[in-house]
Amino acid sequence: MVDKVGAVLVIGAGVGGLRAALDLAESGFKAYLVDSNPGIGGTVPQLDKWFPDNGCELCKLLPVFSRDGCSQFCLRRDMAHPNIELLPNSQIQEVTGEAGNFEVTINSVSRWVKTERCTGCRLCAEVCPVEVPDEYNDGLQLRKAIYVRSPQAIPNFYCIDRETCTKCGKCIEVCPTNAIDLNLPDESQKVAVGAIIVSSGFQEFDAAEMGQYGFNRYANVLNNLQVERLLASGGRTTGELLRPSDEKVPKKVGFLQCVGSRDTERNYCSTACCMYTLKEAILIKEKYPDTEVIIFYMDMRAFGKGYHRYYQQAQELGVKFVHSRVSVIRENPKTKNLLLLTRAEDGTDIRSEYDLVVLAAAQCPSARATELNQALGVDVNQWGFIQSQDWWQTRTSKEGIYVCGSAAAPADIADSVIQAGAAACEAATLLASARDQLVEAEAESVASAASDEDTKVAVIICQCGEEITAAVNTAQVAEFAQTLPDVTSVEEVRFLCLPETLEEVKKSITKSGANRVIFAACAPYHYHRLLGNTMREAGIDPSLWQLVNIREQLAWVHKDDQAQATEKAKKILAATVDRIRGQEPLRITPMTVEQKALVIGAGVSGMVAALSLAEQGFETYLVEKSAETGGHAGEAYYNLGNEDPQAFINDLRKKVKNSSQIHLYPETGVVEVNGRSGNFSSILKAADDTTTEIIHGAIIVATGAEDYVPTEYQYGQNDKIITQKELQQLLVKNGLGKPTTVVMIQCVGSRDEGHPYCNRTCCSDAIVNALNIKEQSPETEVYVLNRDIITYAFREEYYSKARETGVLFIRFNQEDPPEVNATDKAITIRVNDPVLPGKLEIDADLLVLSTGIVTGDNRALAETLSIELNEDGFFREVDTKFRPVDTAIDGIFICGRANAPRNLDEEIAQAQAAAQRAVNILSRKELQSGRIVSEVNARRCSYCGICVTTCPFNARWLDEDEHVAVVDEALCQACGACVAACPNSAAKLRGYRDKQILSVIEAVL
Amino acid sequence: MAEGNNGFEPKIIGFLCNWCTASAADLAGTTRAQYPPNLHPVRVMCSGTVDPVYLIKSLLSGADAVMVGGCHPGDCHYVSGNYKARRRMAMLQNIFESLGLDANRIWTRWISASEGPEFAAAVREITEETRKQGPNPLSTDWAL
Amino acid sequence: MAKSATLAVKDGKIRSSINALLADLLSKQVVEAVLVPLAHPAGNNVVQSLVTNPDYLEQADVFAPVMPVNAGRIIQAMTRLTPANKKTAVVMRPCELRALVELVKLRQAQLDNLYLIGIDCPGAYSVSDYPKYAAEKTSDDFVKAAWNGKDDPMLRAGCQVCEYPVPLMTDLTIGSVGQDLKKQLLLLASTEKGEELLEGLGLTAEEDSQAAAQRHTAVDQLLNKIKETREKFFEQTREEIGGADKLATVFGPCIKCQNCRVACPVCYCRECFFVSPTFELEAEKYLGAAEKRGAMRMPTDTLLFHLTRMTHMAASCIGCGACEEACPNAIPLLKIFQLTGTNVQKLFDYIPGRSLEDELPPTAFKEDELEWIGEK
Repeated sequence: MVDKVGAVLVIGAGVGGLRAALDLAESGFKAYLVDSNPGIGGTVPQLDKWFPDNGCELCKLLPVFSRDGCSQFCLRRDMAHPNIELLPNSQIQEVTGEAGNFEVTINSVSRWVKTERCTGCRLCAEVCPVEVPDEYNDGLQLRKAIYVRSPQAIPNFYCIDRETCTKCGKCIEVCPTNAIDLNLPDESQKVAVGAIIVSSGFQEFDAAEMGQYGFNRYANVLNNLQVERLLASGGRTTGELLRPSDEKVPKKVGFLQCVGSRDTERNYCSTACCMYTLKEAILIKEKYPDTEVIIFYMDMRAFGKGYHRYYQQAQELGVKFVHSRVSVIRENPKTKNLLLLTRAEDGTDIRSEYDLVVLAAAQCPSARATELNQALGVDVNQWGFIQSQDWWQTRTSKEGIYVCGSAAAPADIADSVIQAGAAACEAATLLASARDQLVEAEAESVASAASDEDTKVAVIICQCGEEITAAVNTAQVAEFAQTLPDVTSVEEVRFLCLPETLEEVKKSITKSGANRVIFAACAPYHYHRLLGNTMREAGIDPSLWQLVNIREQLAWVHKDDQAQATEKAKKILAATVDRIRGQEPLRITPMTVEQKALVIGAGVSGMVAALSLAEQGFETYLVEKSAETGGHAGEAYYNLGNEDPQAFINDLRKKVKNSSQIHLYPETGVVEVNGRSGNFSSILKAADDTTTEIIHGAIIVATGAEDYVPTEYQYGQNDKIITQKELQQLLVKNGLGKPTTVVMIQCVGSRDEGHPYCNRTCCSDAIVNALNIKEQSPETEVYVLNRDIITYAFREEYYSKARETGVLFIRFNQEDPPEVNATDKAITIRVNDPVLPGKLEIDADLLVLSTGIVTGDNRALAETLSIELNEDGFFREVDTKFRPVDTAIDGIFICGRANAPRNLDEEIAQAQAAAQRAVNILSRKELQSGRIVSEVNARRCSYCGICVTTCPFNARWLDEDEHVAVVDEALCQACGACVAACPNSAAKLRGYRDKQILSVIEAVL
Repeated sequence: MAEGNNGFEPKIIGFLCNWCTASAADLAGTTRAQYPPNLHPVRVMCSGTVDPVYLIKSLLSGADAVMVGGCHPGDCHYVSGNYKARRRMAMLQNIFESLGLDANRIWTRWISASEGPEFAAAVREITEETRKQGPNPLSTDWAL
Repeated sequence: MAKSATLAVKDGKIRSSINALLADLLSKQVVEAVLVPLAHPAGNNVVQSLVTNPDYLEQADVFAPVMPVNAGRIIQAMTRLTPANKKTAVVMRPCELRALVELVKLRQAQLDNLYLIGIDCPGAYSVSDYPKYAAEKTSDDFVKAAWNGKDDPMLRAGCQVCEYPVPLMTDLTIGSVGQDLKKQLLLLASTEKGEELLEGLGLTAEEDSQAAAQRHTAVDQLLNKIKETREKFFEQTREEIGGADKLATVFGPCIKCQNCRVACPVCYCRECFFVSPTFELEAEKYLGAAEKRGAMRMPTDTLLFHLTRMTHMAASCIGCGACEEACPNAIPLLKIFQLTGTNVQKLFDYIPGRSLEDELPPTAFKEDELEWIGEK
């Protein structure tokens, strides 16, 4: 057996890579996060808003426990975590070794800029004579050869694009810190890791390859990403949709779906494009209600949680949908308008003119994928995506190497994040014995300033070369600072962030005996950790130094008024001095963790979650309300492309039974839950009413859902009208016989008024059943009456195969559903065929309904756990994209169909992701609160409970004996909602006390 | 700097949430968006922690306008802080209107981290509007 | 649920009839205690009293036109820590009941074992005016005159513009509006507890009685009249106090004594924010602030105090006017708080004291509301 290494290499620092790295870092592993780009985030920072809520909640990826270890600001800026080593501009050259102990050679391309000396001042870019298209804005704008990838990207250090740099040396001349060195060598290093997670993402299909659409030739033909950048506030047009030819708002915009996908060359569905097209359509309609927006599509695949409602929102806003593929686009050379030639469903040709056309270009494997995948030695599929294993979406052909997101199959953010969690879970399971091997123990808080010691404030003002002094007279500010109370030393430095300066600063602070320090410098993101380390070495408590930003929020934005800018700097400094004088050292409170879990529901998700926990060494109580484990999958006999579900489930059952860590409680419910993340106590009640009390640190809800029992189409009145599940049972038992005609109707009990969500599974179920009918009885005619066929990613191939085998797909509108007339003798189905005029009448031997999934009654459990349900009765996650398995109550996670309809392999991934989130808590002996948490002044507390109602994290409760509100510091996330709610300031936020804020107000005015 | 209203330079305090608007303010800086220096930013963890007393105190202590900047509704890092802020802002404005005070000196802006230009635009707008309104009568009366 | 019975007014004496009823509650052991205002022996005031011996109820005077303290506050003091352990009937005015409901929502009082008996309230005089009245007239005279529809300029400011002179949430109402007061009062049970009282008293309750219908019509008329009065009052108030200048004048006499907030029945903090260490400043702060301003009013933050207090309790302000009565310097606080309170309550569609189910506006929110806030 190999010695396992407690580190994981994560390739690709997009949203999936970040999630995986954070999950590992939070559960006791070191993560190397490698990206070929100079910054983190992948595609995500290029997007301002995300479906299905048009919001930005990227920050929700950040850890909520022991959060002082990780940066606590917008992830578009930076991320710093003690267990994560970021390696930008880097690629994998070679991988040797085996699961548990790989050696990876990583090549880091030199950016020719010494990051430790770069201040991000932009002087270099200003003089650089080379202009090239800017990738960040997808070529809509130009950048220099020395550049930052995005104004938001971090590290915000400049970087030289070696392909276009002419080595003219102008940047070297102007760089004030001598950060640029064109001879800076590339570096290569070998790192030992136990596992590898590939989250290398995708590359957008080059739409220019489809010559008929004129991309790159016609000014007003753009791709989705370009439109995204135009709609972005930080884009070239600051958020205005102006068409490139004449900078005018287009009156008519056409979106073309499936560009480079679902064709002969790439017969897969790109999965996310329907949704981002919908998003852009909605954003355009909201901003320009008069602009016509038309989407040309084949099937509208809005199948994720909340996506169907988003689709409806677009329809309500007046976005039009045309079911057609555009064959060719021509440009009117004078107006630069675009003429679209389309063929309607009835075969007629339609020409129409558009001001702007947007191409939904497919997700393809990235250019470097082939090389990378070869180095990794993993199998790829015919299109170059990494081949994942049946059932286990994140397992590759090679043990110890896992994959998530679009590297394996086109995916959206929500699914990528789930898979990232699952991949982290796989890696953590493999390396469980090496947990905590390579991570540093959390740094001890330094000795705090004794309370009787006099307050001595040191002020250090950074000039940032000329960057700050150009707008702020720092000498005057320094002189002013001398006059402020308790300020014992003031120092101006030219570049605070340079290593030599930090060393000097440390010395001078020690020498001056200061016990509080204020830096007036730049945005905290870059130097947060640097300064933190320096202050620790200088013996300053982390809560007793502060950085005020006089660069990004002052010097750079008030360039033309030195007098006012200087005055403003003085006031800000005075306010900060005032604030820090009243600041006491803030402590961190540890809370013990019961390192056991409770999993509710022993279907596939529940069993996978329990096994994932058990295999990582955590005792798990697995509670199931019925006598049998397996849930809905217990009735599944085959699946699209996967192996035998029964064998799979039986294997899970066996593992659960044999695991010494899993305590299975069949026919048992959870009737009471008390406590909080890390320390719950629950009462289990068995069918015979016996109760058991258990203590545990985390909860996973995997209670599944139920099949919709149709009331439509005369179901239940005729034994020849059945559901897909019933059909499957017939097929398995070879009991179908040789019917002449089988008709299937899709979306029964889903995507309708009562169930405005896509069931996600039934198109695949219908297709696999149709294929099986054709296999057992090739002469049988099979009709699939559908509204959209939702075979995303590689499911598309089965759809094609079904069509090839002669399965007939007929589309109907929701408003005009098929009519079914069943008698004992015959079933007649009438449906409007869009291709042929009039109604098509089919006599069927068997009518199969593709029924949806509905929730069981989750209310009681939701109440017991104090977690929320969504409008459809599914358990609600904190954020569909970034925290898809977390509930609003820390320590309680959700997975499987209890959360939303999903296919089996997706449920498995989600169960693993949920288990890993639980492991983030269970792997620690104690949880640490943040330094900034709220507290209660018991003497003042009136016990009104407003703070308890207001707290979104259940971090407050009322002590009935003492008549006082109490804060659970581990759960408090420092939002301060309680502070504003409490009328008399009995609720306070450390570091943000009312007195401090009020004195800041007085000081800046 | 353009000066109007007899050289009146309004003083404005902006309470900016750590996650979105304060971040947008930094982005405005990296892109060198220029805006008047009249707004003094005070970073808070969440717009939902802004107690009306901060705003009233500001308006009584010399501020000519106040602003609360938070994440867009639905996007709050802390789930619902900005919804709570929205209620408080509505209530405070309502009270000001009832008393015949300038409710339009109380501003709310939802500005996400990627909206640097919007932050600059908001500061410009608030400064200009306040300049037009002239000095805040509440802050000029010593007897209040 | 609206069952009612009638209470005969014996010999045309309202007060003694009600007192007999209350005494019955005790002697028939329907309840074990009654909270009710008793006339002070000196005759110049009434005092809220917790009575267990029915003999004392002869001195009860629920209509005596004076309210030295809002009884919501009394219940708060009594039940904040533990609920009543004995059945207790409390006889309260509508504004007292409303205050109590707000206090219950704020966990400052508990309703267990309490039987809320509300009265239709004709208003009250200030504590200083009351002795003059009491020297000449009785509370019976007062009720009769009041429901005859005469304006009484001597009433407390709050009472003159009271929005809800009839109880909003109560178990049993002693209805006097729309009744022939020489003959009868209406006993209207609106909850099971209310019916329990009627039953215990041996009164037969009937559904939809004629007396109840009469009261209903009369109440509607009364409320309509009040609506008009209030509109005029708000208009006048805006005229009087609107704008920074006028507000400065109005609050000019404030000495930040905080009597207003001590008297306010819904201002429930055990210790006000404004006496907290947050406002205990060092001399250097005062001097620094004064230097900036040239002159600074002391004590500081008077207007800050009032405006902040409004943000805390405007949504729950029941308009009882206790603040104004408590002010040593005659600041028209009721006017100001009624104006802002009513508008804030409208904004959130909230009526303080209406029901225990309505969420307190500052703690609640809806995702799809107030969308103009933050809009460009």
